[in-house]
Amino acid sequence: MNLLPLFIGFGLVTTAVLAIASVGFTLQYAVTNVLNLAYGEVMTVGALTAYVVNHRGGSIWIGLVAGAAAAAIVSLLLNRFIFGPFARRGLKLFGMVVVAIAVSLILANALLIIAGSSNFSYQFDAGPTFRGLGMILSTEQLVVIGIAVVAMVAIRVLLTRTKLGRAMRATATDESLARACGISVRRVTDAAWLISGALCGIAGVVLGMSVTGWGVFTDQGLLITIVAAAVVGGIGQPYGAMLGALLLGIVTSMVAGYFDPAYRDVSAFVILVLFLLFRPQGILADVVAQREVVT
Amino acid sequence: MTNAQQFYVTLLLIYLGVDIIAALGLNLQFGVAGIMNFAFIIFQSAGAYAYALCTLGPPGPGNLLGAGFQTYFWGTSLPFPMPFLVAIAAGALLSLVVGAVILPRLRGDYQAMAFLVVSLIATGVATNQIGLLNGANGLSLVPKPLNDQLQLSFFDYGWFYLGLTAVFCLIAWWFVHRITSSPLGRALRTVRENEQAASALGKDVRRLRMLAFVIGGGLAGLSGALLVGFISAWAPGSWTYAETFVYVTAVIVGGFGSNLGVIIGVLLVPIVFGELTRFLPDVGQSGWIDAGQFIVYGVLTLAFLWFRPRGVFPERRVLYARPMIAKSTPASASPEGGAPP
Repeated sequence: MNLLPLFIGFGLVTTAVLAIASVGFTLQYAVTNVLNLAYGEVMTVGALTAYVVNHRGGSIWIGLVAGAAAAAIVSLLLNRFIFGPFARRGLKLFGMVVVAIAVSLILANALLIIAGSSNFSYQFDAGPTFRGLGMILSTEQLVVIGIAVVAMVAIRVLLTRTKLGRAMRATATDESLARACGISVRRVTDAAWLISGALCGIAGVVLGMSVTGWGVFTDQGLLITIVAAAVVGGIGQPYGAMLGALLLGIVTSMVAGYFDPAYRDVSAFVILVLFLLFRPQGILADVVAQREVVT
Repeated sequence: MTNAQQFYVTLLLIYLGVDIIAALGLNLQFGVAGIMNFAFIIFQSAGAYAYALCTLGPPGPGNLLGAGFQTYFWGTSLPFPMPFLVAIAAGALLSLVVGAVILPRLRGDYQAMAFLVVSLIATGVATNQIGLLNGANGLSLVPKPLNDQLQLSFFDYGWFYLGLTAVFCLIAWWFVHRITSSPLGRALRTVRENEQAASALGKDVRRLRMLAFVIGGGLAGLSGALLVGFISAWAPGSWTYAETFVYVTAVIVGGFGSNLGVIIGVLLVPIVFGELTRFLPDVGQSGWIDAGQFIVYGVLTLAFLWFRPRGVFPERRVLYARPMIAKSTPASASPEGGAPP
């Protein structure tokens, strides 16, 4: 039996989760320039909120919306009360990265105290399994891929067709110039954290749907893979992040399938380090540079 | 003193000594030279594993310490001071390799991210390659230095080891103090504050950074060896990336760049706050004390970065001549005026 299509199938599910999460991560980084290493914990907040809704009898879809909303609010609060004030004051010698790691550790351990280290899973009807092109995918896995496609289209529409999207792109390119053009950078920043948080929450719930069991450390473990997808695509570039998610999703599934599942995360870390060292601008840098000249 | 109290006090003081050596190393890199080394713990770990391998003896069925339940790729038994020297060399050598790859290429967020990921890769490999360093179970039954020769009781040996730690601690402090108070220390601070200015003055910025990084790595290696020499066991669980953050917090709370501040930081962060957390009532989930410790460290870091970014004991501003503009800008000369713009 040829295993390749099977692994590609699993890789596409990982890609879907990664794409949602890394687009949110990169969008927020582009606008605010803060490396939000607490992203994994915000994801867990979304996943746990959906779990609570789901186990009180709500459907997983209500849970998805609640999870996205909770994560968006947490994300906004983090910016309002921690990242924003520190960024405005400016940290001499210390990057915001120290603040971000501190926030990440506080949140991670608070979540551990609240939720414990047990495993959770959502309750919903598992539909039939589909086979095709050598892949075997369950209904929920197909739904996960579907959600990712919808989210990506929505982000594309937001960035190209709406006033907010244009304001976000302008702020990302040059904040002071955007301010001079009458854009309220503060509101755009808030919007970026909200959207990023919502995507993060969706990714957390969707990840929980696609695996059999997850705990408070699952999303934290995925953080570096999400960052890797963002860096591979060129940090700050949403379309690059989608491409990065595809690369990371397929490669990590191949490594897990053909080599050793324990090296799944390590392979993502190695890709991240190699890109940081040899191509920190990401794979799309040349394309983007050309397009900027043209348009 | 009861035996339990005696053990608690010696263990705590040995931890204090080990943490001081490690924090002095991190301070040299992070505080003095401005390198965001979020992989610091792997250099401590390199020293600990090097010490273990140099004392456990060759792996295989003939070895009473390692037979049957632990596997590792190589081992030998060296007499007393040698394993510590090998540990220092291991920390320094690993720093040389990691530093040579990361330091010249990356700055700021990207540098921090690269170090963080290197730390995660190291944990991943050490956990999953069982044959290398016994995987997630780690190495145990590591011999204590001079334990066989001295024939001391368990508790007397604790006091002896405390003395040994104190000696190493004094040597480390003297060594780091010599560097930071010398022209070399001044040059390192210049690199931290303004790379271009240092470069324009003819300083080899890359070499200076590398030097601080490697010496810090050597100190990390020594601290790891001292730690494993007493507790006799070392596993990937003891050096997750979050452990680096304990030292980062100590450096920030104490006062980065200041050696005395760092000692106070270690006294406050892992010892006072870390141990106080243990006496909290056990109300939550099991293991919530450990989680609580990290919350305390995180909150301390945020609070100090916001209210007192130069720490309890700030780095002394060395003035070489009476500044002519001192009257117009008093803030720039006072140690507390360092609130970043």
